[in-house]
Amino acid sequence: MEGGGGLEEGVMRVLLVDDSPVDRKVVQLVLGSNTFAGSFHVTAVDSAKKAMEFLGLKDGKEQAIDMVLTDYCMPEMNGYDLLKAIKAMSFLKPIPVIVMSSENEPQRISRCLKAGAEDYIVKPLQTKDVPRLRSCSNAKSKDASCNTVSNRKLPADHIVVDGASSPGRRAHITEIAMILHSSSAGLSHYFPFLFKFILLVYTILCLGELLHRWSNGSFLSMW
Amino acid sequence: MAATMKLSTLGYAASMLSTGLLDEQFQKLLLLQNKSDPNFVAETITLFCEDGEHTIGELTKRLDKQCVNFDEVAAFVHKLEGGSASVGAKRVKNTCIQFLEFCKEKSRDGCLKTLDTLRVVFYEVSGKFKDMLQLEQQQAEATK
Repeated sequence: MEGGGGLEEGVMRVLLVDDSPVDRKVVQLVLGSNTFAGSFHVTAVDSAKKAMEFLGLKDGKEQAIDMVLTDYCMPEMNGYDLLKAIKAMSFLKPIPVIVMSSENEPQRISRCLKAGAEDYIVKPLQTKDVPRLRSCSNAKSKDASCNTVSNRKLPADHIVVDGASSPGRRAHITEIAMILHSSSAGLSHYFPFLFKFILLVYTILCLGELLHRWSNGSFLSMW
Repeated sequence: MAATMKLSTLGYAASMLSTGLLDEQFQKLLLLQNKSDPNFVAETITLFCEDGEHTIGELTKRLDKQCVNFDEVAAFVHKLEGGSASVGAKRVKNTCIQFLEFCKEKSRDGCLKTLDTLRVVFYEVSGKFKDMLQLEQQQAEATK
């Protein structure tokens, strides 16, 4: 286990869970770089089991972790199971969990978001991903909504993220947006397909209306 | 001194980038390195080389068996894929992706063939990394 020591106020305490020593090192490099100097205190463990032990030591006391950043694929207990365990264990004082994986797979993303993950990041972690960590951390006000990329990049008139809505509905909206964002095809590639689909549906509806009027004998009255 | 070392490493990395051994991820790591821990990248690539060698050994052992546990094999390959993506070892990463396909198909022959390729590309990149570190060490000693 790596990390420890006293902390200044405003420093985000991250529990990093990854079985790959190389990946742990890279995350520590990114979070410890000059750009974010002093902003993060990272405690790294190499298994979900150790993460559970670390978090379990804090039962009944103030949690020393603002966020868990976990790899998805790990032996014995994977990141998904760790995510579910953390969400079940920390329902009184929820700990944000962000899942990382080298797989940019919509099903996996959806699964994690449905299980309560605040975000899903495709590895390797980049500098540009760090604001997403900040926005999901407990170090911010509890009322602040998680500013994932899905919420920021989509126009407000298309997606309404209502803070009063049920967690399930918000997770569903976030899940759809996250899948679209994370897809390697990119959001803009869906537009032609979406346009054609809408056109097709509209055409079918119009034809249906015309047939209905024909069968009712009111077709000729249109002319 | 740190700037000179960084420039020489960047130059070496640029040559590995042009041959497709590395991608821009490695350069990003170099640029992230700060003065408080100037050996961070060196430690990371040393870890990658050691961990990768261990992984290839494990893969060889597991694929030597008649009855192959493809889930175990895939877990090792996936770990190497992640590590290679993190350090920017592009060719190793791509070979691991191919390897994972054969694991999904449960094709022992495919896995064995890809393991041979993986061995070649991994030792090529780890050899270059070791040369790079040696060059830095020599330069550091020369400027003392």
